[in-house]
Amino acid sequence: MSYTLRGRIESRLAALLPVLVAALAIALSEHRWWPLQAVGLMLGAGLVLDTQAYHRVLRYQPGWAALPLGALELGLLVLLMHVTGVMAPLAQAIALFAGGWLAAQLLGHAAFPLLRLGYAEEGGELGRLGAAAAVLLGVGLAASASVAYALRPPVVHLAAGVHQGPLVITRREVLSGEPGAIVRGGIVVRANGVTIRNVSVVGGENGISIEGYRNTVLDHVSVSGAKLDGIHVRLGGVMIKDCSVDMLGNPLGQGIDISYNIGVGMSMVDGCNVVGGMNGIVTHSSMTEIARNHVSRTQIAGISMTEMSMGKIQSNEVRDALGVGINCGDRSMCEIRKNVVIGTRSDAAGGNKTRAGFGVEVLFGAEAELSGNDLTRNAATLGVFQSSLARRER
Amino acid sequence: MGVAIVGSGLAGFTAYQALRRGGLEQGEIAVFGTEADPAATWRVRAAAIRQREMRSESDGHTRPATFPGLAFSSVRRRRSLRPLVESVCDRYHPTVDEFLAHVEERRERSGWDQSVRARRVERVEAVDGGLELDGEGPFAHVLVAPGHPGLAWPEELRIDPRAVHAYEPHGYASSVTVVGAGLAAATEWLNALAAGAEVVSVRRREPRRAPLNVPREYFSQRGLASFHRLAPGERAARLRDLLGASYPAGRRFDEPLERAAREGRFRVEQSVNGSEQVICATGFRRGFAHDPLLARLVTEHGLETVDGWIVLAPDGAVAALSDATRTLALAGAPAQWAFPAADTLAGARYAAHGFLRRIASCRTR
Repeated sequence: MSYTLRGRIESRLAALLPVLVAALAIALSEHRWWPLQAVGLMLGAGLVLDTQAYHRVLRYQPGWAALPLGALELGLLVLLMHVTGVMAPLAQAIALFAGGWLAAQLLGHAAFPLLRLGYAEEGGELGRLGAAAAVLLGVGLAASASVAYALRPPVVHLAAGVHQGPLVITRREVLSGEPGAIVRGGIVVRANGVTIRNVSVVGGENGISIEGYRNTVLDHVSVSGAKLDGIHVRLGGVMIKDCSVDMLGNPLGQGIDISYNIGVGMSMVDGCNVVGGMNGIVTHSSMTEIARNHVSRTQIAGISMTEMSMGKIQSNEVRDALGVGINCGDRSMCEIRKNVVIGTRSDAAGGNKTRAGFGVEVLFGAEAELSGNDLTRNAATLGVFQSSLARRER
Repeated sequence: MGVAIVGSGLAGFTAYQALRRGGLEQGEIAVFGTEADPAATWRVRAAAIRQREMRSESDGHTRPATFPGLAFSSVRRRRSLRPLVESVCDRYHPTVDEFLAHVEERRERSGWDQSVRARRVERVEAVDGGLELDGEGPFAHVLVAPGHPGLAWPEELRIDPRAVHAYEPHGYASSVTVVGAGLAAATEWLNALAAGAEVVSVRRREPRRAPLNVPREYFSQRGLASFHRLAPGERAARLRDLLGASYPAGRRFDEPLERAAREGRFRVEQSVNGSEQVICATGFRRGFAHDPLLARLVTEHGLETVDGWIVLAPDGAVAALSDATRTLALAGAPAQWAFPAADTLAGARYAAHGFLRRIASCRTR
């Protein structure tokens, strides 16, 4: 086909309509933005390529060219999604593109010529159909914006006062507590994309429990009196900001425990204040960034990154821990930077040398990179045991 | 009766398919021609040069839309996806038999035979309310698709007893000179070599090697828009350049010719020598003046012409005799002024679409 510029653009717009419909369906079913963002990027990149490259270079475009041009546009889409921060499951994004590419081929080679007899000789121009496609696409995008608006998570306001739990959240929503809002008996998250903000939790098996759900945000929550862990995360992705966890009187529970989320991306604990518990903040087999937290009076370690975890422990303050301030253990890989560890007490009276009150300890095949940490005011500064490696960087 | 097609060849047949697709019934279309078989003339010519494969590709058919192309029916017939793959790579060419089967199928399905009036039209006259054909009518919309106005013969060979035209039935002598450099000539080189002849190619210039008879962009508005903007003289010059002899590149031609040249059985010369047989693969006569119907039309209505071409609107209509209530349009080779590849199946479809648009927009219909 020898496209005119207008023909290229009209054909592209018309061929994007089914993709937009599919993207809307995915967005509605998954309550995610990325399909619509991806369609927007496809449209933008396609129009730029049409006007700046294809029209100039390709006076005639053979059928086979759809393959390399499709691969080019797919690569560009993935790159643009990365650059613009569109968080999309790669396989699904590729499937959406591939479906759109296939639809474009079917439309361009079969449907458009049947709908408009002169399609080929008019260089891909669609006449009224093209104008209608442009309008429909515009309407579709506007509808997408409306859908996006409609898909904003509902906000549930929790009034001041004590609410008897456990509170189980089973849909994507924002739970926003008014000052003085308290949930007694814990909160259980059973949906993706839940945000809990400004809520105090008292008691419960775990203070806040998230098992198997993603995109949870805990913002300005406080937890106290949990029987097991303060914040308990399994197989889920979580961002915890500015929280407070009181585990005093619970020597066997963890303040914040994030485990087995290595396949769901990075989690974060930022700006929390954790007191007491076995470990203040602990990760197992996870990718986590632990930063700007205050942890104190723990029984095993202030912060522990273990069991093949990966991540950063940065700019935290750990005080008065028993045995170990910051632990990087069991084949984990840790960046430990700019932390202050003070007053770690020895727990080695029973003969366990690894409990000698180390500011930082690297244990059992773990690797740690250390820089800028203040470890001087502890029973011991740095302990490296059992084939582990600690690199100090200036 | 509102619509007439003058000419019952492939261009008229293609237009008929488009009109039927556009909603016209059999009884609303009159087709004037000497043969009910739309491929009759073409079939004889193809057989004369032993053509087995079309130069056109999957969309070289008579349907009103390019889809489905002939590659699809070849997939069914050959029980192989190869035609589709070849089509994607612009390497699929239907066989002559496949094309003729397609024409026959469309002929039966469209009711073509019921619309054909076996009569040669000799005069088109603009009258109030439309156009009369030999006094019959008036018809509001007429498409004239008269075909090529006869075979072109080099003047010096016109009375040479050794000479035969490529498009006339013929055999091959033991030494053959082929005059010309287009696809028919190239096909005849191979035919004569295959028949064991010694072949001499006589041509005025080296042939252009091209997949189709005009560059691909001239099959769409991409190339046509600028072509239509050319001044008449430039447009005629461009047409002469575009319509120069050519045949496709590829091993199908190159390998046997190179082999024969090595064996001393194929060579190029500047003039006709003492071969036993001279085959004139020199195509068709060009220009409206060679067609009595068109020549009379031009003379009687004072139509504008340039270098043998009747000046046409971009859609193939004769602007001087077309308005909001009637249409006179040309198809086939005489429509090259609007569409350089007008004598191809794609060109016939282009003219048909233009004619159909005129009818659809006519306020009297």
